[in-house]
Amino acid sequence: MPKQIAIYGKGGIGKSSTASNVAAACADEGYRVTIIGCDPKSDSSITLLQGRRIPTIMDLMREGIDIKEEDIVFNGYKGVKCLEIGGPEPGIGCAGRGIIVAISLLKKISRAIEDTDLVIYDVPGDIVCGGFVAPVKKGLVNEAYVLTSGEYMPLYAANNICKGLSRLEMTLNGVICNSRGALNEEKIVSEFAKEVGSQLLAFIPKDVLVQTCERDGYSVIEKAPDSQIAAVYRKLAKSIMGKRDGKIPVPLDDARLRELTRI
Amino acid sequence: MPVKKEKEPLIMHPRPSSIVAALYTLRDLDTDVVILHGPPGCSFKHARLLEEDGMRVVTTSLDETGFVFGGHDALVEVLEKVIERFNPRRIGIVGTCASMIIGEELHEAVTQVQPDVPVIEVDVHAGYRDNTKGVVMALESALASGIISEAEFERQKALLKEATLVEKRHGAASKEYLEPNRGDLKYKVAGRLLELIKQGKKGLNILNAKKETAFMFADINLAVAQVAQKLGYGSNIVNMVNLDDNVGLPKNRRNAREIKDDLKEKGFEIHHIIGGLDEYPVAGNTADRIIGEKYSDYDFAVISGVPHALPMNNINNMELFSVTNGPRQVVPLKEMGHTHVVVEIDLHPKTLGVSHIVESEFGATLREMVKDA
Ligand SMILES: Nc1ncnc2c1ncn2[C@@H]1O[C@H](COP(=O)(O)OP(=O)(O)OP(=O)(O)O)[C@@H](O)[C@H]1O
Ligand code: SF4
Ligand SMILES: [Mg+2]
Repeated sequence: MPKQIAIYGKGGIGKSSTASNVAAACADEGYRVTIIGCDPKSDSSITLLQGRRIPTIMDLMREGIDIKEEDIVFNGYKGVKCLEIGGPEPGIGCAGRGIIVAISLLKKISRAIEDTDLVIYDVPGDIVCGGFVAPVKKGLVNEAYVLTSGEYMPLYAANNICKGLSRLEMTLNGVICNSRGALNEEKIVSEFAKEVGSQLLAFIPKDVLVQTCERDGYSVIEKAPDSQIAAVYRKLAKSIMGKRDGKIPVPLDDARLRELTRI
Repeated sequence: MPVKKEKEPLIMHPRPSSIVAALYTLRDLDTDVVILHGPPGCSFKHARLLEEDGMRVVTTSLDETGFVFGGHDALVEVLEKVIERFNPRRIGIVGTCASMIIGEELHEAVTQVQPDVPVIEVDVHAGYRDNTKGVVMALESALASGIISEAEFERQKALLKEATLVEKRHGAASKEYLEPNRGDLKYKVAGRLLELIKQGKKGLNILNAKKETAFMFADINLAVAQVAQKLGYGSNIVNMVNLDDNVGLPKNRRNAREIKDDLKEKGFEIHHIIGGLDEYPVAGNTADRIIGEKYSDYDFAVISGVPHALPMNNINNMELFSVTNGPRQVVPLKEMGHTHVVVEIDLHPKTLGVSHIVESEFGATLREMVKDA
């Protein structure tokens, strides 16, 4: 069975860029990787496809297409298999239902989530409605990771996600710090990870390269392979691929959370 | 390149619901209690009717709060209460639009409660184009829990595919909008039928009914045979019925036997068995073959139940009397070439919870009109 992971974290904190860089780094190591974007804005795989947008599962469904695997799975950087679930424009319909429908379809028709070494589910924002945890609920995710900075609000979101995971009896397999340059950031996130029952896997510095490569449609792994930040993503990728057990997280209370960010 | 399916044309009139179809299927599988996981009013009318057949239907009564916060706890609570109150041997849990849209996992509640009887979970909602989808989903789940065999499942699936096609061709899914219609006057149609019988014309008397509706549709065929007998032309009538009691789910077999026994007792002679009670989408083909071989020169045919499932090939030149329970079936039947179409309004509810033939209006009309003959 492949490693099936989902990366959660506050909206805009860097989940998609981390997911695509980790995917690219794993592909460099020779792993077969599949990335599934579960965000209606379908931006998870763009940087693995040189900026190209692929048709989303929900788009094809809406058009009444009898969906086959080859219609929705696209080869990206070094053969990373890219899928986007897609969904409605903001403020219309029900994106969560879209994810449920698409996941059920994937289970039926796709080998890409089985014949592979790593599947990454890139989920938007915090855990929203039932639909956004469909990959977990339908048993397609066996490891969860939380991405956060050392600021109060992202940590607050991360803690909420821990609540969600423990309710779903899902393990937390690691916390990743995506730095926003807060004071004592690594220490704060490392302490948070420990207290919820996990560990800090990586400290990703804030680096404008991430954004410039992204603008051109690339991961830093592809466009700036010798950069420092690329090395950080590589190390994170190794650590994710290395065997490690997770634990069901124990969320903190709000007072403790506030205290933490004051270290 | 992705292949585009041809866009299904719009159908505007309301049609049978997949949720309700799943409920009826669970009843056919001898389920004792079904929990509808959704709003209190969902499928109310049918949930109530099914109780006539001895199956309990309860609801988790999701409200606004449930929609927003999820209904897991409510489902667990109802499941526990159901086990305690009804001590069922087989439980069904059926989804609704509301619970499916918010992503409820029916199985989570079952895992938590761990009942020691089989639970058939059906992740269905009412948003499927063909209600047969609800039947297939219920059967898939029954197959997964070992309640039906692979062979029976495949058999049912093939029948449902045919049923869907029958509706597309000449039934509820055949047009963008179908006007409901009360059909022809029973008194007039009965008059014409009796006239033909009295002229010594030869007639086919065909029952091709869906499941329990046969309890009333059979009464029409019975009445036809009885009046012909009374008028001295009994031997001109050939009876064909879809009452094979060796096929189908337990309830369908049971019902076929009950109706057959009733018919026999009333002196009705079955000349041909054209299939079982769940074979109404294909039994018409068997009838068609037999007619082609033996009766193509007959003058008229009475077809009750699902008349539009009978191919027109060999009955084209006969005067056709069809009896349906669907007011929206009248127009398509007329267009197929059925001269007389009679509607037994509200037939289905009267055939739940019964084990004997139920009197039909058209049957009663025929009998009344030859009372003094
Ligand atoms: N380490 C980093 N250094 C600099 N910029 C970064 C870093 N990580 C992410 N970013 C930038 O932050 C922005 C938001 O990142 P991204 O889209 O990956 O967030 P997200 O968590 O996936 O957001 P959403 O919740 O909306 O899906 C992007 O422009 C990205 O390039
Ligand atoms: S919309 Fe769906 S859930 Fe609501 S009452 Fe109708 S069938 Fe039931
Ligand atoms: Mg994202």
